[in-house]
Amino acid sequence: MSTISTALRNFKEPTKEQLTQIFFSVPNTPSTPTPAAGNGTDKTPPPSQEIEKMDINAVLSLGVQGEEDSYAGKLYIMAPYLAFASLDRKSVRFTIPLSTIRRVERLNARAGIYALSLSTWHGAKIIVQLTSLRPTADLFCSLLRDALKVELQRGQMRAVKGFVKTCYSEALISTTSTVADNEREDGSLISEEKEDAAPRESTYHGGLGLKFKFPGDPKKLREASKIKLWTQYLRVHGRNLTLLRYPQCTRLVQVGLPNRLRGEMWETLSGSVFLRFSNPGFYEELLEKNKGRSTTSTEDIEKDLHRSLPEYAGYQSEEGISALRRVLQAYSFMNPELGYCQAMNILAAAILIYMSEEQAFWLLEVLCDRLLPGYYAPSMHGTLLDQRVFEALVQRCLPIIHDHFQEVDVQLSVASLPWFLSLYINSMPMIFAFRIVDCFFCMGPKVLFQVGLAILKINGEKLLQIQDDGGFLNLMRDYFASLGDSAHPNSPDPRARAITRFQELLLVSFREFSIITDEMIQSERRRFRSEIIHSIESFSKRSAIRNLKTLGRFSKEQAGLIYDALYKAMCIVPPPPELQLLTAPALVATGDVGTMTEEKPETRIGLKTFQFFLSEIATWARDERIVSNGFQRRVDREIAEHEFIDRLFFFWDTSCRGALSFQDLISGLDGVIFNDLMENIEWFFNLHDKNKDGFLTKDEVLTLSETFLFIFRYEVGDAYLGAVSRFMTNAFEYGDALQPETGEAPIINEQGGETPPAVPTNQPYLNLATFRMVVLADEVLESFFETDLSASFRLEPLPEMELPVSSSGLLGDIWSTIATDNNKKMFNMFTDEIGKTIGKHQVVHRPSIGRYTKLEEPKLRESLLTPSMRHSASKSSLSAESTQTIATSTSTSSTLSVDVNVGAGKGSLPSSNSSYTPHPMLQAANIASFMERTPFAIDDAKDDEDESDEDLEDGENDDQVMDEVDAFLEAHDSGLTDADKEVAKDLLHAEPVK
Amino acid sequence: MADSAASGSVDKSVQVKLVLLGEAAVGKSSVVLRFVSNEFQANKEPTIGAAFLTQKCRLEDRVLRYEIWDTAGQERFHSLAPMYYRNAQAAVVVYDVTKATSLEKAKSWVKELQRQANPNIVIALAGNKVDLVQASASSPSVPASSESEDEADDATATPGETPSSSEPESLRQVPREEAQAYATEAGLLFFETSAKTGEGIVDIFTEIAKKIPIEHILAATRGAAGRPGASGSRPGAAAEGSVNLDGNTKPKDACNC
Repeated sequence: MSTISTALRNFKEPTKEQLTQIFFSVPNTPSTPTPAAGNGTDKTPPPSQEIEKMDINAVLSLGVQGEEDSYAGKLYIMAPYLAFASLDRKSVRFTIPLSTIRRVERLNARAGIYALSLSTWHGAKIIVQLTSLRPTADLFCSLLRDALKVELQRGQMRAVKGFVKTCYSEALISTTSTVADNEREDGSLISEEKEDAAPRESTYHGGLGLKFKFPGDPKKLREASKIKLWTQYLRVHGRNLTLLRYPQCTRLVQVGLPNRLRGEMWETLSGSVFLRFSNPGFYEELLEKNKGRSTTSTEDIEKDLHRSLPEYAGYQSEEGISALRRVLQAYSFMNPELGYCQAMNILAAAILIYMSEEQAFWLLEVLCDRLLPGYYAPSMHGTLLDQRVFEALVQRCLPIIHDHFQEVDVQLSVASLPWFLSLYINSMPMIFAFRIVDCFFCMGPKVLFQVGLAILKINGEKLLQIQDDGGFLNLMRDYFASLGDSAHPNSPDPRARAITRFQELLLVSFREFSIITDEMIQSERRRFRSEIIHSIESFSKRSAIRNLKTLGRFSKEQAGLIYDALYKAMCIVPPPPELQLLTAPALVATGDVGTMTEEKPETRIGLKTFQFFLSEIATWARDERIVSNGFQRRVDREIAEHEFIDRLFFFWDTSCRGALSFQDLISGLDGVIFNDLMENIEWFFNLHDKNKDGFLTKDEVLTLSETFLFIFRYEVGDAYLGAVSRFMTNAFEYGDALQPETGEAPIINEQGGETPPAVPTNQPYLNLATFRMVVLADEVLESFFETDLSASFRLEPLPEMELPVSSSGLLGDIWSTIATDNNKKMFNMFTDEIGKTIGKHQVVHRPSIGRYTKLEEPKLRESLLTPSMRHSASKSSLSAESTQTIATSTSTSSTLSVDVNVGAGKGSLPSSNSSYTPHPMLQAANIASFMERTPFAIDDAKDDEDESDEDLEDGENDDQVMDEVDAFLEAHDSGLTDADKEVAKDLLHAEPVK
Repeated sequence: MADSAASGSVDKSVQVKLVLLGEAAVGKSSVVLRFVSNEFQANKEPTIGAAFLTQKCRLEDRVLRYEIWDTAGQERFHSLAPMYYRNAQAAVVVYDVTKATSLEKAKSWVKELQRQANPNIVIALAGNKVDLVQASASSPSVPASSESEDEADDATATPGETPSSSEPESLRQVPREEAQAYATEAGLLFFETSAKTGEGIVDIFTEIAKKIPIEHILAATRGAAGRPGASGSRPGAAAEGSVNLDGNTKPKDACNC
């Protein structure tokens, strides 16, 4: 009754390139907007050529008066985006789509200076001086040129015009001035752009606030002056798609965005505007395609719609509710794996006050995917991880509070979890929370941590008084309720009295906790990730075991081992996604339950995964080759494939769904592992009795013999082979004897399908009693059923699986690039080759049972030839062949390349499914020949798979290094000498090269 | 939040940490709200992680101060639950009588609590929304204000419900006997409740109060109680927010606040 997810194992630390993309809010090109197969739109992402990426040192200056500063930094081309960041990574930065660049000119300047002037759609002139070597700069320019051409061809350049009309900032600017329009005329690549004027106003996107009012008192919020400041800023520095972020931008954000502009600034600052720009119509299509669809997510959403910011007027009306419903549903359709998580309703409701549905949809995507990674995932690992990180930061920055909490056993997350999960919207009065959200979108996720730390610090003294979780929560509740109060009510200075507690909070957040950087959070996340994954996994393991309907005769520990094997199998051979969550509809489709009982999603595995699972547990379900080549001794394990395993799969699939759940596996194993002799015989019989009529047909007897041969395929010596032969002989003898109307010779060995046998192969032939008798007549088979069969299922602790990450730092990186599976394989092959050449290469198959290692006398094999088996021809051919194989194997002398035999054996094993009759003996021959060889000492062979477990913990030093680098960067803010600044200034007035 | 009826006299009241668990939308929050606060607001803020409420009760000569942790019901919040039920002395596991699967979930919660939580924890099983399965004639709602109508939204938010008065019993998916039998077997207190009508709500807390080893808790917390300014000392709101559990046989005049 539970789901098992291996998603956490797939986590990969972002590469440096990805980190850059994340920093610049560049959508990751192919993956982001691909809707889940089948239920989304089939809109393919634009055919992006191999995306050229390059960065180059550059000095940025702005071609306008009033902005004299120049900044050294790096210019990145990440088609279809151009991005820049100053050296300190925060003062100045921009990300603009190439399609908004209307003209690029090489500037005629002093000798040796390579500078470009870029004119954007909004008329801003960006001047970049490429300070790298000439060839590098040339290369960069040619890349830029090519990328621009591509954008032009894609028609993106045209799209810009229509798109910006959806932005409020355009309306804002155009009503106050026409400067931008004038600027645009000369730089434009598009001709039809003159007719704009009046209709603009009505086309921009906006949120519910336009109709239902924005929270807060506009006068108190000083909306008018904020709008004025922003208008000035946006006019000069570009807006929406082309916004350049200078220090003033951040400052303006920190005093709070004006309500009317807030939605657009959120999408611009977070980069979700790029998603909306590059996926026009996607949102509507998505909703259209999934119209009327009902999922568990949509049900969950429905429950919460009326509980999302219910105090806001917009959500007391159907208009607001249905907008919220559509946005949340659309997201759950696009990302069914995540679906819907409580708290997303609060976020969506909050942003819908300021943005249109489409804007909100894309912002939600950026939130869930990039800004709050893993927060809302089914395991909520991101939330848990960041809580752990937060706790560590509290320990580091506020040790006294941390110690006190430890002492009185108060858990920080009790209060802080909702802060992070709902971006403080659920905790603080909305007007304050939105200002934190402003900063969050502008400055990144670190803001959540900074504010959290500041809250604790400000309340430090009171926090030291609290004794339990409840007290902590009450204190926080009171504090949040008082955020609007004066921070210094008793101060004589009226200006000090005017400072609210909220202002104080922001001040403390960004002043005292400016040491918290995104890099620090990244590295803390790396530090704790495996710990968190581990605890989530062991939690779900415990609950999976607890939720079993029955443990059978297993102890909890044993069930745990079975779970581990299942989990490993799922990691390595992930079940197809449609199997993972077989829910109610699938159940109804199979029609085995009359009433529509709603069933919980439950993880089930398919055949492939099952094969791996079984290979972990049953010795005969794997091919283990013990290879020794003089350098090393290792066990190569491969998953065996045989009809028997498939048979087992369907035998255990009691609910006939073509997939097994954890419970099925437990029950299935329970049905064999604890069996005694008689039970095992019956189990084995039933397994092969397809139609469950209590009789095996002749075909089934043959199949059963195949199974024996499969299980015994690596046994040393031919005792087992003999046993199987005797079994067949006896089975057919008895079977025939018991047939009411027996006619001719029962054995149909060679002719196979050609001459129809007396008893049709699909008629009931052998019953359980007879089968039992035949088995018990043979010592080897008897002992197989008595103990070996059950014992061949082994529940052993698996070696701890490597967690995906956590080897950070240089050494870790190098190690992880070296110690890949591929390289291990190559190393193994290499040593094998050497081993072969020096004659020390040996490969031995590890037997599945390994009991009769000593040969029984060959005469036992002679006794195969009981009267009923008179086709001496076959016998002679058999022995001929076997000697032949032996000859070949011995002729290859000391290298003993057993692989030849293995190949032959393996080839014939699976193929035998279709035509049974002649094959078993051939196989027997192969196996016999194989067994003739001298047995090797194999018992002491050890697994040596645990090579790469070292070197996993050296992330520590990196932090320090990063800190130093940061410190260095702080010291060189704009990174320019005065002379450089001169040059930059000159460039502002430079003429383009003719 | 509801008024956290902090105690004026820390020493006399016994703090009892109680956690509410159960599948989403079975009405956990409604049960708490019915118990804690009469001034019900429609569509209270959703439960993220857990909501925290307090309520003071009098039982005989004792004052109990319930610290109630109302947890989020969505499955993915499950892994957070241990944070809330650790150290809890009591738990109310809620299911919905009109939804069979919710009892299954409740059972799994009970199992988890019995394994992972405080060994002496007192667990009560509450089958909520019985108002939906009672003949409409026999559901005389409590002195119902318009607010408790709103509450119904919350308590009955099962898809496709609309309790048709014709045959209300058909909505029931969990027979009382079955749940009762399970509760007896697992050693739980058992109630069928309706947050909408108030039926059975106070009984839960009364019975828990009776069953809880108060002396034990007192002994354990005595050390901490002496310290000044302990947990949320907000005097003033003390008296009026409390519920008298004494001799409260009729559930309907339960909430006297």
